[in-house]
Amino acid sequence: MSVMKKNIISKVLLLSFLLPLSVKAYTQEKTKISPYIQLQYFKDTEDQRVLQTTLSYSKDRMELPLPGMEISFFKGGVTRELISRITTNNKGIARIELGKDLKLPVDRDGMWAFSSEYMGNDTIEAGKSEITIKDVRLEMALTETDSIKTISLKAFIKQNGIIKPVPGEVVKIYVPRMFSLLPIGEVTLDETGTGTLEFPSDLPGDKEGNLTIITKFEENQVFGNVERKVIQKWGVPTEYSVPSSHRALWTKTPPMWMIITLSVLLAGVWGHYLFAIISLIIIRIDAKREAAKGKYKIQK
Amino acid sequence: MEADKKLIKDLTPEIEKTSLKWYITFFIFFAFFAAGIYGLILQIDKGHIVTGMRDNVVWGFYIVNFIFFMGLSYSGALISGVMHLFHTGWRKPVIRMAELITVISLVIGPFFIFFCIGRLDRLYFLFIHPRIQSPITWDVIAICTDLIGCFLYLYLSFIEDFAILRDYADLNVAPWKRKLYKALSLGYSGTERQQKILSNAKTIMAAMIIAIAIIVYSVLAWIFGVTLQPGWHSTIFGPYFVIAAVFSGTGLLIILMWIFRKVYHLEEYITKRHFVNVGVLLTVIAAFYGYFTFSDYLTKWYGSIKMDSILIDKLFSDYYSLFIFANYIGILLPCIIIAFPKFRTIPNITIAAVIAITALWVNRYIIVIPTLETPFLPIQDTRIDWIKYTPTWIEWSLTIAGVSVFAMLFMLISKIAPIISISEMQEKDKNEILK
Amino acid sequence: MKDLKNNGEEGSSRRRFLKRLGIGVGAVSLAGVAGTAIISGKEAKARSGKKVKLLSPDGKLVEVDQDDIKPAKEIVAALKDEARKGLPDRKFAMVIDLAKCKNARKCVEACQEGHMLPKDHEWMKLYLLQDDIHTAKYWFPRPCFHCDKPMCVSVCPVGATFKRADGIVLIDNQRCIGCKFCMTGCPYSARVFNWEDPKVKLPPGHVYDPETNIPAVEGTVGKCIFCADNLRRNELPRCVTACPMGVIYFGDLLEDTVTNGNETVRFSQLMTDRAGYRYREELGTLPSVYYLPPAQRMFPVERGLEGTDESIKGRYKKAGPR
Repeated sequence: MSVMKKNIISKVLLLSFLLPLSVKAYTQEKTKISPYIQLQYFKDTEDQRVLQTTLSYSKDRMELPLPGMEISFFKGGVTRELISRITTNNKGIARIELGKDLKLPVDRDGMWAFSSEYMGNDTIEAGKSEITIKDVRLEMALTETDSIKTISLKAFIKQNGIIKPVPGEVVKIYVPRMFSLLPIGEVTLDETGTGTLEFPSDLPGDKEGNLTIITKFEENQVFGNVERKVIQKWGVPTEYSVPSSHRALWTKTPPMWMIITLSVLLAGVWGHYLFAIISLIIIRIDAKREAAKGKYKIQK
Repeated sequence: MEADKKLIKDLTPEIEKTSLKWYITFFIFFAFFAAGIYGLILQIDKGHIVTGMRDNVVWGFYIVNFIFFMGLSYSGALISGVMHLFHTGWRKPVIRMAELITVISLVIGPFFIFFCIGRLDRLYFLFIHPRIQSPITWDVIAICTDLIGCFLYLYLSFIEDFAILRDYADLNVAPWKRKLYKALSLGYSGTERQQKILSNAKTIMAAMIIAIAIIVYSVLAWIFGVTLQPGWHSTIFGPYFVIAAVFSGTGLLIILMWIFRKVYHLEEYITKRHFVNVGVLLTVIAAFYGYFTFSDYLTKWYGSIKMDSILIDKLFSDYYSLFIFANYIGILLPCIIIAFPKFRTIPNITIAAVIAITALWVNRYIIVIPTLETPFLPIQDTRIDWIKYTPTWIEWSLTIAGVSVFAMLFMLISKIAPIISISEMQEKDKNEILK
Repeated sequence: MKDLKNNGEEGSSRRRFLKRLGIGVGAVSLAGVAGTAIISGKEAKARSGKKVKLLSPDGKLVEVDQDDIKPAKEIVAALKDEARKGLPDRKFAMVIDLAKCKNARKCVEACQEGHMLPKDHEWMKLYLLQDDIHTAKYWFPRPCFHCDKPMCVSVCPVGATFKRADGIVLIDNQRCIGCKFCMTGCPYSARVFNWEDPKVKLPPGHVYDPETNIPAVEGTVGKCIFCADNLRRNELPRCVTACPMGVIYFGDLLEDTVTNGNETVRFSQLMTDRAGYRYREELGTLPSVYYLPPAQRMFPVERGLEGTDESIKGRYKKAGPR
């Protein structure tokens, strides 16, 4: 065979070998969903620590959850240890509580390591997410002088018994509302790990003026999500009630003048009807009496 | 009770026997009625989607017919009430017809509301969960009151006639009719005392009927007047509707006079004089109606309020011919015909009445529908039946069925009671004898 | 984490338990039972101890105490009672940012899906308005305005539509007689009528509740209900979360806060900064929906016509000053 022919044959063979593979890969890609897995660390105001994994996928530029999938939570970095396996709920979220006093070995940077893994199935690929967290303590103090309300923040790390401040980090302050958190402001901590923010005086609170104030590290690279919550009487007391006896066109009870006018009209009209009916009855009685007297004639 | 034999002979032939023509006419009307019922069954089965009403024009033919028939009713009440109270001599032959118009159209009108209601199975909620603040509740109360009142008034005026018929031995009727007269006349024997009581009751009810008619039709007008819609939110709607109602009722009265005069050979009793008098009444009311219409549209047109201007534009473009017919021809033609003595013949006056009553129906149509086609937020849709209201055959057939029922009920009543009140006519004779 | 204003009350009130039952199947472990019987909450009552075998909607045979079964009619009556009272100490309002709306129509679709509406029923409607040839064209999403002086409620003859203390105007589709007076009373054309049987496939064990307003009932009226069922679960209305541009903000005016799912702002601040207004204020109905004027758009209005269906594009052919 000529060299050219051999080239062509080898090229065709190569193509015929690669083509089905690429088609297989293409179809494989088409059938298997590539999930988005995100591991988050939460520490709430009572120091309860929570690991949360969100499993979702992207379709038509919208993020949709993957419920009912089993997520494995691990602690530790290189040598990881299984904590538990949790199934995602209908929002694609799996949560695991780690407890308030978390004594875990730290690596040389003083960080804890956590990871969560999804093993995958026939239609969904596997996924893994890892985070490293440094345990930080966030303190909040509320002071009010001359009707100016101030929030003072302090954040520090306890490492080997030594307290080290965390400068330069951003702490966000919120007031929770019915559907979401209302942002009040942000504080960037100084070199001593402290910061202050003036709190507005015109925020509506509940009936007594109570407000919940949340300060938190939000999705911090090092600290995760750490929050402090306190209830304070720093809101404007707000009361709102519509008495059920309110009289208007659109309420249950009609305006008084309407009831009076209607009653008067109806009484007047139906009173006259009554008079007419009574007249008819009197005619009937009278006619009977006349008939009894024999004055009843039949015309011929 | 005694009565002039001639009167009875002239006014009661139709009670005694029924002609073939009557049966044929009745059958034709019944056929139209049956077609309407078929349409109604379709509507109940498939839902209101079979009508032309859609989300913007939610009130169509049915509401127009409702207002129209209620209008006829109230005008009948007003006319008969006024005629009774003012003891006008020439009223006597026509007053019974006016009373019958009142009651029959009052019975038909509410049915058109029922056709418009989406859930007929819940109609009784109007009585167990009423809201006094709603104009529809006012209307329900008003119509019920009016029904009772008009029936009472009609019955009061029938008693003497029933007594006459009961006592007339030569009356060649079926025994059940005789029994009916005996029962309904309550044994009335025409004594002084009974006459006085009856006359008092009639006068009081006549006054009540006038008051009720005005109030009830104003309440109907306020169903439109209290809303915010352009074209409806007009302060004169109350009096405007009352005048329009009397206009249509007077027209109908003339038409009925003409029909019964022809069919029952009552030329001696309903003369040209009556036509002319009712015709003059028609003209006067036409003038009032024209004045109200002009006043309403002038204020809308002159001011620059955008929604009013949009409505006026629509009336003069899409509804141009209907507008001209209802508000120009409908007013001017009857006035011209009756104003000039040369034109005042019985057929002409009847034609004027037909034009008047048709123009009034069209007037109701262009009050209700164009406003719903020009809401505050513009209709932005691609479906033609959501943009413009087109009635379907079901709505047409139910309208014609309503007219047919009106005719049939009138025909049926004419078989039981005289169309012209014998007792009223007698009264005239008595007065002449006394003179 | 979201803070519940009425926390601590979960599970103690029988009505709250009934509420959850009414909303969805599978929400409770002993979920709604096929037929007319639905299981009630716990009651301190002398128990007969008799047991009854019933079929659950997922085909399982369940044995239940006879005392725990309550007829559906009582459940519905209790739900309607709650629906008329509303959520305590709330006053809901919506703010729509006309500068951002580009006729994506995701709000319309989410609303139709959430309330199982037929495709030609639009409780949220999008208009293309231009007040005058010199003024801006803008896309105008129009939900029900839940007016504080609602014309529709004033004219209803049977009290089928009602305004509750938290500001929401609801419809009881089992009371409505279909007279359509409310539709002529509403100046904003916010209501739609069910001209024919909407043929909705209901989930098993579904109980009628004015706060979900499912199913649409033939011969009655429907309208936007500010997703009152979502609000009871502290969730935003469906149109708010569905909008890709974050056009619709929703919140409690008593908290002076509105949110579009991503941004949360103070309502009073938003109004003053962006000069919010209400549509046709002079009509005096006091709507609960505020609009932010279409100032400084980031993209032209015509972008809203791109990529839409022909049947929808055709609606706006004649759009312009009237």
